[in-house]
Amino acid sequence: MIGALVTAAAVAAAADDQVGAAPAGVANQQLAWQHWTLNCQGCHRPDGSGTDQTAPSLKGTVARFLSVPGGREYLSRVPGVAASALSDADLAEVMNWMLWRFDKEHLPADFQPYTAAEIGQLRTRPLRLEASLVRAALLKKADESTAH
Amino acid sequence: MAHFDHLTEKVLRGFASRTSRRNVFSVLGGFLAGAAALPLLPVARAEGPEANGSDPNSGVLSPRYSGNPQDPGDATKCDYWRYCAIDGSLCSCYGGTVTSCPPGTEMSPITWIGTCSNPADKRNYIISYNDCCGGVPWGRCACQNNQGDRPLVRPSNNNEITWCFGTKSQSYTCTVALILGVAIDQK
Repeated sequence: MIGALVTAAAVAAAADDQVGAAPAGVANQQLAWQHWTLNCQGCHRPDGSGTDQTAPSLKGTVARFLSVPGGREYLSRVPGVAASALSDADLAEVMNWMLWRFDKEHLPADFQPYTAAEIGQLRTRPLRLEASLVRAALLKKADESTAH
Repeated sequence: MAHFDHLTEKVLRGFASRTSRRNVFSVLGGFLAGAAALPLLPVARAEGPEANGSDPNSGVLSPRYSGNPQDPGDATKCDYWRYCAIDGSLCSCYGGTVTSCPPGTEMSPITWIGTCSNPADKRNYIISYNDCCGGVPWGRCACQNNQGDRPLVRPSNNNEITWCFGTKSQSYTCTVALILGVAIDQK
């Protein structure tokens, strides 16, 4: 009966989020989805596509940063992540879940999940206005490495 | 046949001798007044033309109940449970509903998301507050509930921002409240 309240689209999206093997570094997928929904989805949109006016797209892109030097650090220092109200542990879990959810195709085979300690250290150096420039430079490097 | 005529005459004369004209008019008047009052009853209104949407031009609002005991309350009122973290005007007062924008407006894909406790089952639900943009900002049915709201320095968790991003128009009209799922209770 309660389930009847939840819209069909939401059920489909939530189910889609949790299909397949559990992503590395995520103890509770449903909790990670909830943290994402309450803290990130509003701007990045349910499918991670974002908008030019608000938050950049994650879909099919976000794990590419892991393949270039500085990319892993960049992801933890962007304003929305570094300034999040989530704890280091919850944030690490959301990051690992998000990489798997929106760009598992680019997730490196040797990917080591974020830990609370790593996130806690990186978020003390948040990026501000320079975030978009760093993003563009890192994606350019990723494109170049793919072309070679 | 003559026997039938005689019987009818006898019955009618008997009725006339026991009943005054005033009495007949009072009974007839009662029926007429009763019939006129029927449309005023809530049951009749539920079947009326406004059952599926209040007319925003009339200034008169019809209550909106889902009919589902798990979703209690009037969606045109600020104290409806899904509106616990809303800041804006209710689309259900503009010819829209609690989940759909009024005609002529566009729902923003960028949203403010919070949680509200459902009085029916006492569980928390994740609610997405989507602004409807591009219509006339009439400012009717203003509703400001700030559960879970954070200061403007945390824009992604602030509900005072007009979330008309990713839409053709940045002109705010009203807000809907969509259920995204049941929240996990945390310590």
